[in-house]
Amino acid sequence: MSTTAVVTRVGRELIAICGAEHVTEAPPERILGCAPSVAVRPGLAEEIVAILRFANENDLTVVPAGGFTQQQSGNVPAQIDILLYTSRLTDVEHYDPGDLTIGIGAGSAISQLSAMVGKDGLLFAGDPPLPGRATVGGLLATAMAGPLRHGFGAPRDYCIGIRFVAGDGRTGKGGGRVVKNVAGYDMMKLMIGSQGTLAIITGASFKLFPAPRQTRTFVAHFSTGAEAIEYQRRILRSPLDPVCLELVSPEAHRLLVPASPAGAAWSICVRGAGSDTVLTRYRSELGPAVAREMDGANELGFWRCVADFTPLACEKPDSLLLSLALPLQEVQPVLANLEQIAASGGFTLAAIGRVGTGHLLAALWPTSGRQAAKSDFIAALSALRARLPHHSSMAVLYCPTELRSETGPLQTPTHLESMRAVKRTLDPKDILNRGRFPL
Amino acid sequence: MGLPEIIRELRNIAGPGSVLDRPEDLMLYEYDGGVRKSTPGAVVFPQTAQQVSAIMRAAAAAHIPVVARGAGTGLSGGAICKAGGIIIAFSRMNRVLEVDVENLRAVVQPGVVNLQLSEHVSHLGLYYAPDPSSQKACTIGGNVAENSGGPHTLLHGVTVNHVTGVEVVMPNGEIVQFGGKAAESYGYDLTGFFVGTEGTVGIATAITVKLLRKPESIATLLAIFESVDDGARTVSAITAAGITPAALEMLDGWTLRTIEAFCHAGYPLDAGAVLLIELEGLREAVQEQAIAVSEVCLQQKAREVRRAKNEEERALLWKGRKLAFGALGRVAPSYYTQDGVVPRSQMAGVLQHIGEVSKKYDLIIGNIFHAGDGNLHPLIMFDLRDRDQYERTLAASRDILQYCIDVGGSITGEHGVGMEKRDMMRQLFTDEELDVMISLRNVFNGDDVLNPDKMLPVPRMCREITGPSSNPVLVQEGM
Repeated sequence: MSTTAVVTRVGRELIAICGAEHVTEAPPERILGCAPSVAVRPGLAEEIVAILRFANENDLTVVPAGGFTQQQSGNVPAQIDILLYTSRLTDVEHYDPGDLTIGIGAGSAISQLSAMVGKDGLLFAGDPPLPGRATVGGLLATAMAGPLRHGFGAPRDYCIGIRFVAGDGRTGKGGGRVVKNVAGYDMMKLMIGSQGTLAIITGASFKLFPAPRQTRTFVAHFSTGAEAIEYQRRILRSPLDPVCLELVSPEAHRLLVPASPAGAAWSICVRGAGSDTVLTRYRSELGPAVAREMDGANELGFWRCVADFTPLACEKPDSLLLSLALPLQEVQPVLANLEQIAASGGFTLAAIGRVGTGHLLAALWPTSGRQAAKSDFIAALSALRARLPHHSSMAVLYCPTELRSETGPLQTPTHLESMRAVKRTLDPKDILNRGRFPL
Repeated sequence: MGLPEIIRELRNIAGPGSVLDRPEDLMLYEYDGGVRKSTPGAVVFPQTAQQVSAIMRAAAAAHIPVVARGAGTGLSGGAICKAGGIIIAFSRMNRVLEVDVENLRAVVQPGVVNLQLSEHVSHLGLYYAPDPSSQKACTIGGNVAENSGGPHTLLHGVTVNHVTGVEVVMPNGEIVQFGGKAAESYGYDLTGFFVGTEGTVGIATAITVKLLRKPESIATLLAIFESVDDGARTVSAITAAGITPAALEMLDGWTLRTIEAFCHAGYPLDAGAVLLIELEGLREAVQEQAIAVSEVCLQQKAREVRRAKNEEERALLWKGRKLAFGALGRVAPSYYTQDGVVPRSQMAGVLQHIGEVSKKYDLIIGNIFHAGDGNLHPLIMFDLRDRDQYERTLAASRDILQYCIDVGGSITGEHGVGMEKRDMMRQLFTDEELDVMISLRNVFNGDDVLNPDKMLPVPRMCREITGPSSNPVLVQEGM
């Protein structure tokens, strides 16, 4: 604790729970400009229970935080009384490589987890942006998935157990440490993607995979997005089962590899895993469209960049970053719509995504030399929303601050009133991430 | 409103020929694949979600418990109704509503039989991956309720990994949608949460599932071992070699011989155990993996590794596995199937323990394992008419599940908690953790009209649980 800071009543209580060395009054962090009153780093789930009970009794708002890599999404918080870091929850709860599972604290960094299991020839399937900082808890709360999503699934597919403290201070658990388990409700599903609005995740267990012994990436180039998508659909109909299958638009490519020449093409990047014989088969199935192949450090570096698209796109001044979950057949029409909206609104479009699973990330920013008015953004968003296909979801991951409260409601096919009822049950006083992710 | 009035109301809703209430008809609905029995007051066969909604409203108003039922193949009592309650049977809502080839999805009614869906889309080169052993009879609706698995879930995942959307009738009659055709939907994942709630949250009336493309190549191997220990060690060795088979099943010697006598699948009669291993994918990859897996098996003291030469031989090997439960029916008047799960590294230990339990309680126990994911199905042979044997069977079963819990496993991998394992939930979850689940059930099913007395045990302490219906429900031990 800083010696110059005034110890507030909230600070005193948190010190009593966690110890002075784990409490910081008036910390420097900002969430969309909003300053937290106090930051706390509990070391045990029991301490989180005590903090949340105290917050409920005193109507204090709590914002959970991991590595601070995704805190720029959502609405501007009106007030942050307590910023609660999970960084001290890093215990390995169980790990036997022979089980192909691991249980670990929510505060563990993804890169540490990946390195630990990597030594035993295993793969952790989560590859979010900024893995050196991104944490297990943050990965789950945001349901963040990177390029490995195509071959190994999303967090909802490989998370087999979860431990949490609900907003009302009750401790909860779902699943366990075995890969098949239907005892009790599937609390993993409820927590994954809940954006820290239902509970504070304290730990989780995951299914691991044998790491591929060899991979190779094939990059095919196309002059239009439609041709790229058509090629991607051909791969989906083929017997190939790549571990990554990514669409990269020309602008997205420039963002990832700034030195790339202007007028670069649309690409479909296919990462195959297997022996030389298997990779030869990939080459013959993928055909003459493949312009380039990558392996080794080159290949790893490329996929690392792809996974980091989100933070790179947020660095563009005035960027609007959207995440879309679409039925497979709707990817192409939505992409065409995005291109048209960008062209007519004076925006540059960078699109990337695991399109083989219907996932698309789209960044729009004002084309250079142009100033975009707030109304231009709103027009773009409403045009997109108006033509969003049935069964689709859309979330704004990042946008200019002045636009925050006007991005409109979450787009999802799921019954909103049921979601609200779940929120009221686990966090009745709405202390967790209040106002940031309205339903 | 009493039962006679409700039955009249059900006939008004679903049609005069759509309700059963004669004792001789109801008897057929008093049990499922488990060991418990309870006679319903009426069985109704709706044809639309609107009818399900009207039935739900009528039952809720009269406080009569309701249970949704598919084929009744469940092994945990999930489809058994509280005495005098209403069973909503889905055998007339059995249509595939849509096959969307471009999006690789099908929308089905809950009464569609699991295998029939795969057969329905087979000509398109597609199939539905979760394949419970009962797939010739069990329904997708029941699979959703129990989050069913099957041998091929090792590679492809269980039911929840294949359901992207569900239309649900709530206990208050409201019809709502969770998710859709996209692989995921933003906001809370209520689709994922709903799957596996054992009919305690709502009733699915339309289910959107993923369809997969049939693999280009499949290799089916039968590895024959002198002992179950060797078989168990081989399971770990295969994954250590970096291979994830599509299925990895183990049968012990006693079970093998029983099956062989029944259906002549070509299993060796003198083996201690066999592993049934299936690999699928790209032709080249499958060929290499089949060689690698054979080598691993031989290194782990397999006596022989056979490979199915054609689809006929493959079907025969699987026929034995899938008919195993039927075959065992010839040995004893009844059998009790358990569904424990252990971490994969604990396989040899749990097998040894089951051997000891068999001796201790003087019961024959056969073993069928989804070995690849540590999910075991010990089959305890007994005679229901012999009270002592029945009691020993239950005790042996608890003993095995206790072992699973002690080594970090679970009491059910794919059959559900239902009635029989409800009390053991307390050993996996604290009262507070159960309370969180109960409060979520109350969000949707606050008056506990839907499938009461299943899955979630009554908390030990007397406490008030408030549902959104704002009717506090007093839950007390022993109620």
